[in-house]
Amino acid sequence: MSTADPFAIAAHLHVLLRRKTGRVTDTEWMATNADYAREIVRHAREKAASDGHEELLPWAEKLEAAIPAMGVPPRKTLLDVAADALRSASPGEGNQYVGRLR
Amino acid sequence: MHQNRYFVRRSLFLPAFLCPALAAAQAPTPETVIKVTLDAPGLVAASAIQGADTAWLMVSTALVLLMTLPGIALFYGGMVRRQNVINTMASVVGIAAVVSVLWFALAYSLAFTPGGALGGFIGGVGRMGFSGMEVLGATGQVAVSHIAQHVPESVFAMFQLTFAIITCALVVGALVERMHFGALLLFAGLWLLLVYAPIAHWVWEPGGWLAQLGALDFAGGAVVHINAGAAALVCAYALGPRTGYGREPFVPFNLGLTMAGTGLLWVGWFGFNAGSALAADGRAGLALLVTHVAAASGAIAWMAAEWLARKRASLLGLCSGVVAGLVAITPAAGFVTPRGALAIGLAAGVACYWGATALKRRLGADDSLDVFGVHGVGGLVGALLTGVLADPAISGAQASVLTQLIACVAVLAYSLVMTAVVLWITSRFATLRVREGDERAGLDASLHQEQLGH
Repeated sequence: MSTADPFAIAAHLHVLLRRKTGRVTDTEWMATNADYAREIVRHAREKAASDGHEELLPWAEKLEAAIPAMGVPPRKTLLDVAADALRSASPGEGNQYVGRLR
Repeated sequence: MHQNRYFVRRSLFLPAFLCPALAAAQAPTPETVIKVTLDAPGLVAASAIQGADTAWLMVSTALVLLMTLPGIALFYGGMVRRQNVINTMASVVGIAAVVSVLWFALAYSLAFTPGGALGGFIGGVGRMGFSGMEVLGATGQVAVSHIAQHVPESVFAMFQLTFAIITCALVVGALVERMHFGALLLFAGLWLLLVYAPIAHWVWEPGGWLAQLGALDFAGGAVVHINAGAAALVCAYALGPRTGYGREPFVPFNLGLTMAGTGLLWVGWFGFNAGSALAADGRAGLALLVTHVAAASGAIAWMAAEWLARKRASLLGLCSGVVAGLVAITPAAGFVTPRGALAIGLAAGVACYWGATALKRRLGADDSLDVFGVHGVGGLVGALLTGVLADPAISGAQASVLTQLIACVAVLAYSLVMTAVVLWITSRFATLRVREGDERAGLDASLHQEQLGH
């Protein structure tokens, strides 16, 4: 799994925060919800400053960098787009020969 | 579509055209033929006729007629329900007969002779009443069209007749299973005279306004396919949907017949497109090649679209894709390279799949066998892409997308409006639609009192 993957970053932060600060987080929510991720970034930086857990800082930065991509649907290939368009143009298979021939 | 290659001095032969007796006195020997240009049908020395070109055009005539009889009859007959197969096939045969007689009575003259003051819009009546087409063995002269001065006019007129037949027959696909047989034949005759003949004149007679504008239509993308597609759409709206349409499954009688029809269309289209070169030459050979490439790529594209949409490749889809590719290459056949044909076929396969599914639902008409979705959309795609992909090195013709667009819109609009007028006139003389009981029973039994064997 790539370290640029929000889930990988969230998993690392989840372990560090649990180990260093005792804070339990929701990994999946951290990787997909921008508001929650921002709060975790803020919390990690605060703990790094107040308690000296500087190893939290690089992972907070990585999570912050991943926030813009959160909530954006995965990019579709041209083939996926074409397939979706054609599929939406076709009635269900159960309607074979009802109101259409082809 | 037409290129004049052999020219005969008009000043020498026009009096002969007007007066056969004078022609006999003035008839030149084959050795003294002087090549100049005719601008109307007339007589030329028999030695001006090119045997190879004439032979190819005669073969092409037979091939194009095979596209209708039995090609279209099988193609459509396989897609309708069992109780309407005979009616569908009879409609195609009946139309072929009516159109053939009316062609030599009037329509050929309106389409392919110069028209005087209204020459941009309609031809003259110089060839009406089965006139012209002389073969004067005693004087060594043969009538030719000014459009193809190296083949006998009888062959040229027959070749063009087969185009008129198939165009009228294509419209049948939109009105199957519910139109009165007599009304259909009356409609077809009027439509030939009031819609097909003028449009053919616009595009293919050198004085026609679209020909003058520079519109390119090698074998009938606009004249045949856009025209038939538009007429089909109007017919579908005017007749209304078949009883039970959209609620009951209309199971096709036999898609094997449809496949056989597709095969005849594919082969016959070689005559349709390569024959439109009006010569047995290199351009005809290229037209034949690009026709085949477009048919194949159309089938592949339709199959791919259907696979993406429904995870299947159906026989009807393959047949439809073949026809879509053939339709789209029709206007372009004498103007594009094989690579251009590949692009046209691929585009047409996808566009016509959309036309026969999503667009069809949006239009809301019971265009029963998807004439507009395949021929209308395919014709538009082909005509417009001709403007994009035509290679001047092949024909010397400079293509313009704007001119092609004007031609498409003009033909589409005229056909939509005039088909509605023709249907209205027809409805004054005959009932368009059968009664619901007859429709339920099937038109084979209710109109023809015939039935398919077991």
